[in-house]
Amino acid sequence: MRVELLLELKDVPGMLVKVLEPVSANGGNIINVVHSRQGGEVSVTVAFYVRDQATLDRILAALKERRISCDDVMVEGRRYYRKRSLSFILVGHVIDRNVRDTIDRINRLGLVRDVDVKMENPDMASAALLRVNVDEDRVGRLVDCVREIARRKRFLLIEEVL
Amino acid sequence: MRTARLIVAGYGKIGKAFISTLEGKASRLRDLGYDLKVVAVCEKAGSVVDADGIDLKRLLDGKVRWGKAKTLDVIRDVDADIVLELTPGNVNTGEPGLGHIRAALNGGRHVVTSNKSPLVLDYAGLDGLAGKRGVKLKIEATVGGAIPVINTCLNELKCNGIRNIYGILNGTTNYILSKMAEEGVDFQSALAEAQSLGLAEPDPSYDIEGVDTAAKVVILANAVLEGNVKLRDIRVEGIDSVTAEAVELAKEHGFVVKLVGDVAGRRVGPRLVPVDHPLNVSGSLNAILVETDVAGDITLTGAGAGPRETSSALLGDVLEVLDAVRAS
Repeated sequence: MRVELLLELKDVPGMLVKVLEPVSANGGNIINVVHSRQGGEVSVTVAFYVRDQATLDRILAALKERRISCDDVMVEGRRYYRKRSLSFILVGHVIDRNVRDTIDRINRLGLVRDVDVKMENPDMASAALLRVNVDEDRVGRLVDCVREIARRKRFLLIEEVL
Repeated sequence: MRTARLIVAGYGKIGKAFISTLEGKASRLRDLGYDLKVVAVCEKAGSVVDADGIDLKRLLDGKVRWGKAKTLDVIRDVDADIVLELTPGNVNTGEPGLGHIRAALNGGRHVVTSNKSPLVLDYAGLDGLAGKRGVKLKIEATVGGAIPVINTCLNELKCNGIRNIYGILNGTTNYILSKMAEEGVDFQSALAEAQSLGLAEPDPSYDIEGVDTAAKVVILANAVLEGNVKLRDIRVEGIDSVTAEAVELAKEHGFVVKLVGDVAGRRVGPRLVPVDHPLNVSGSLNAILVETDVAGDITLTGAGAGPRETSSALLGDVLEVLDAVRAS
C-alpha cells in the first residue's frame, strides 16, 4: 500500500536520513521525497510502498522512538492517523515555578513544539503560550495533565476550545 | 384562530418590552391566526387585571389603574392559559420566580419564562411538575436572549444526537475580552468602560466570575443534554485574572480569549478560540455552537440580551405552546 508521511523537521544535517532509515529498514520502498525550506524548519513529504499495516505501524513506532513526529499520515490517499496541535496559555509565575518540569511532564504525553513567554515585569505574573503536538488518542490525557499542573502550580489555564 | 389569555408576571424592562412587542405585532399575529389577550400584568407593588383583555397601548402609556392584588394570587385566581414569568432572578433562592412558576403549573397553566434562577435551582422538579399537569414549560428566553438555541435543538435537530454545546453566553464578559483584544487595554480599564456604557453592572461579579454563564450551562445541560445537572456540578473560572499579556499572546498566535461554557464538559472558563472559528464573535454578541452527529456543527449567533430581543424568544415560545396545544 502507498503511504505518505508529512513532517516538519528541524533544518539540521542528518534529519532526513533519520526519517528514511526506519522506512528502508522495515522494507518500505521509497518512491518520492519532497522537501521545502521555510525559516528554521523544513516541510517534508515522504512517499513509499509497504506490504501491510503492521509494517507501517512498525515504521511509525520507530519514528516515534527517534522523537520524530508526523503531522499527517496518508494511506492510499486517505488520512490514516493524525497528530493534533494543541495550544494553551498559562498565566502566573510560569518561569519561577519550574518551567522545565512543566515542559518535561507535558513531553511525556506529547511534544512541546513552541513556548512563547510574555513577562512585563519579573515580579508580576507572566503569560506563556505552549503549543504541543499530541496523538489524537492522547488528547484527553494531555488535557488532564495540563489541568493538574495548573492546579498545583496555581496558574490560570486558558485551554484551546476543542 | 388560536386564542390564549396571558398573565404577565414582572413588568420591568423585559415585561414592558414584551408588552410593547405584543402590541406592535398585533396585526401580524392576527394574520398568522393568533388572538392573544393579556388578562393580567403584575408587579411587586400590585396588578392590573381585566378579563376582557387589557388595552396594551394605555398600559404602556401609564394610563391604566393598578390594583393591589399580589402576583401569586393573580396567578392562582385569574382565569388564563399561559403565565409569562419575567421577574428578575435570585440565583440563591430562585424567588419570587420559583413560587410563581410552581403556582402556575399547579394551576394547570402553561409557563413561558426568561427567568434563569428557578430553572437553575430546580429544573427537574419544574419539568416534572409540568409533565404531571400536562402543561408546557418553555424556557427559550433564559439562554442566549434572542438566539433560538433550545427550540432548535429540541425541534429541528430532534433526530440528531447532540454531543456538546459550546457557548459564549454572556455579553458583558465578551465585551470586556473583545475590548482587551482589540485595544490592548487591561481587564480593569475594559471593565470600567463596560460599566460606563451600562453593559456591566456596578457589581459585575455575577458576570465576570462566570456565574451567569454557568447558570446557562446548567439550563442547557438539563434541557438539551438531559443530564440532572446542578450549578455545583459546574467548574467555574471567571475572566478577572486574564491579563493583557495573555490576550496579546493569544492574538500573536492566531487566537482570541473568550469566556466559554462547555456544556458536556460542565466547565466555564476562559478559553482560546481560533480567530477564524465561528465562536469568535465580537462586542456583546453571543454565539452558540451545537455539535451533532448527523447535522455536524451548527453555530447560532446574535443578541444575547436586550429586552426587545428577548421578547422575540418569549413570543416565539407563546406561539409554540399554542401550536402544540392545537396539535395534541
